[in-house]
Amino acid sequence: MVTAIPFPFARIVTTAVVVAAVVLFGMLVDNAFVITLAGYTFAFSLFALSINVMLGGLGEVPLGQCVFFGIGAYGAAIGMVTLKLPFEVALLLSMAASVVAAALIGMLTLKLTGAYFSIVSWGLSGVAMVAALNLPDLTGGPLGMFGFPPITLLGIPLSEPRAYFFACAGLLAGAVLLMAAVRDSRFGAAIESVRQNPHLARSVGVDVFRERLKAFTLSAPLAALAGALCVPYTQIVTPEVFSVSNTVDALLMVLLGGSRLAVGPIIGALIFSIIPYFFDMDPNVRVLVFSGAIILVMMFAPGGLHQMAQALVRRFSGGAR
Amino acid sequence: MALLLQTLINGVVVGAGYAVIAVGLTLVFGILHLVNFAHGAFFALGAYAVLLSISVGVPYLLALPLAVGMVAVIGFATETLVIRRSLYGVGNNGSIIVTFALAQVFMALLLLVFGPNPLPVSAPFGQTSLSLGNVVVAAQRVFILVVSATVLAGFGLWLARSVKGQQILAVAQNPKGALYSGINVPLIRSLSFVLGVSAAGLAGGLLAPIITAFPTMGNNSLITSFIVVILGGMGSISGAMLGALLIGVANALFETYASVSWTPALGWVMVIAILLFAPQGLRGKAQLHRY
Repeated sequence: MVTAIPFPFARIVTTAVVVAAVVLFGMLVDNAFVITLAGYTFAFSLFALSINVMLGGLGEVPLGQCVFFGIGAYGAAIGMVTLKLPFEVALLLSMAASVVAAALIGMLTLKLTGAYFSIVSWGLSGVAMVAALNLPDLTGGPLGMFGFPPITLLGIPLSEPRAYFFACAGLLAGAVLLMAAVRDSRFGAAIESVRQNPHLARSVGVDVFRERLKAFTLSAPLAALAGALCVPYTQIVTPEVFSVSNTVDALLMVLLGGSRLAVGPIIGALIFSIIPYFFDMDPNVRVLVFSGAIILVMMFAPGGLHQMAQALVRRFSGGAR
Repeated sequence: MALLLQTLINGVVVGAGYAVIAVGLTLVFGILHLVNFAHGAFFALGAYAVLLSISVGVPYLLALPLAVGMVAVIGFATETLVIRRSLYGVGNNGSIIVTFALAQVFMALLLLVFGPNPLPVSAPFGQTSLSLGNVVVAAQRVFILVVSATVLAGFGLWLARSVKGQQILAVAQNPKGALYSGINVPLIRSLSFVLGVSAAGLAGGLLAPIITAFPTMGNNSLITSFIVVILGGMGSISGAMLGALLIGVANALFETYASVSWTPALGWVMVIAILLFAPQGLRGKAQLHRY
């Protein structure tokens, strides 16, 4: 396991500083737009975490991970508008649906690896988009679904910027802790062995396909949660949620922050939304700049920015370990 | 009967266009063992290069080879600056990410320069169509069929008869052995990449008058060529041609007799079925990464 900070003490201090910064940010910033955007960034970070289960965990590039994001978004929308369910129930149902979908899709496709998995995964998201466009009774067709009732989560009004921010931050923190626990578990070790050398893993008794399926099934509800949590911000769900550009955004976040670090995707997500906000970037310029950055990162530091930072720290602290 | 005949002909004509893109993709895979996710971007670049040439007054028939030349130059620059430096030694998903990011860069550039709206590309054949009995085919489609068949046949001959063609096949079979025999392997790799993406550019220029030019057109064509190449067997050139015809005809039949709006899903269902039950495709070697 690779960690950026070697001492538990330093890790505790860092965690405390980060938590304090988030709480202060949520209390002190008054600009409703900024704080809503920050909440949305945290919600979308959950999607990046989901992608990282596949990318950092299994070493696969899941171009179609937006299928589960879309299931979450459409699940929340259909649950609230068509079935008149409360948001919490719709959220849980769509996460459950994403688990079932992941188990089915995984059983079919996880035998494939590398580019073949990426292509088929992308293809399934294409099928999902065609289906969303062509089933207007279920999904509202090309126009999508909108006109939601005021959304609350366990009594917290998500339409209120500050409440939305803290709800997303809390859920993200929970997800990060869960992911860290998973990574330190036996299952996490099995996954790591599968990523590094599937043949060796199998020779010592790891059921490679089963572990891959478990990781895939774990990644799906995270993406669905992200999809549902983005609904209070976007206020509309269109077939575009199944577009590959949705996956690309999250993939860029993971690669920027570094796939080997538990909070790497979140660091990437912050970079991905803060820099364009300050430079007032068009979304296309954003994709251009960050895709270019990814090519450079892959050429010169395949571990992401966090690996670069680590190398710098090591150089300045003079540590030759 | 007339409807069936018309559908089959439409399928073959569309399939000919697919064949040119797919042969480029399969060539790059066969020689460089690289699944080029940026292949569709070169298709879009070809279409926009034709658009650009026409807008400065070059006639379409001259704009087409000019566009292929431009795409070849961009392809050569890409291979030299990025692919060659980052591909080797990055591992399996490194090449997926790099080529995919390249596609995003090209797509975003096209969006920024030309805007998101589809732009019409005028061709000399315009709206004229040829009729043979009950069957009607647009002149541009006949042109596509003729150019595709000529280019593919010429390429096949060149590969089989010329020294460079034989060197390409040698590198595909055994890069180390080719190197020991004195073949300039980096040059052959570069040449294969440029040839592959130029084929995509040619297809973009050929199809642009029919489907117009828009920045995300590369995505659709990439997906189609993946479908074709996987069906034909990754790395097999004859398989790609066969797969293109099959997919073209299957799509046309499905569009005519089942549903137009669900057609995009058909290819994917076919690919998933092939990967699961016959992973080497029609003509490929069994070299798929699986557990």
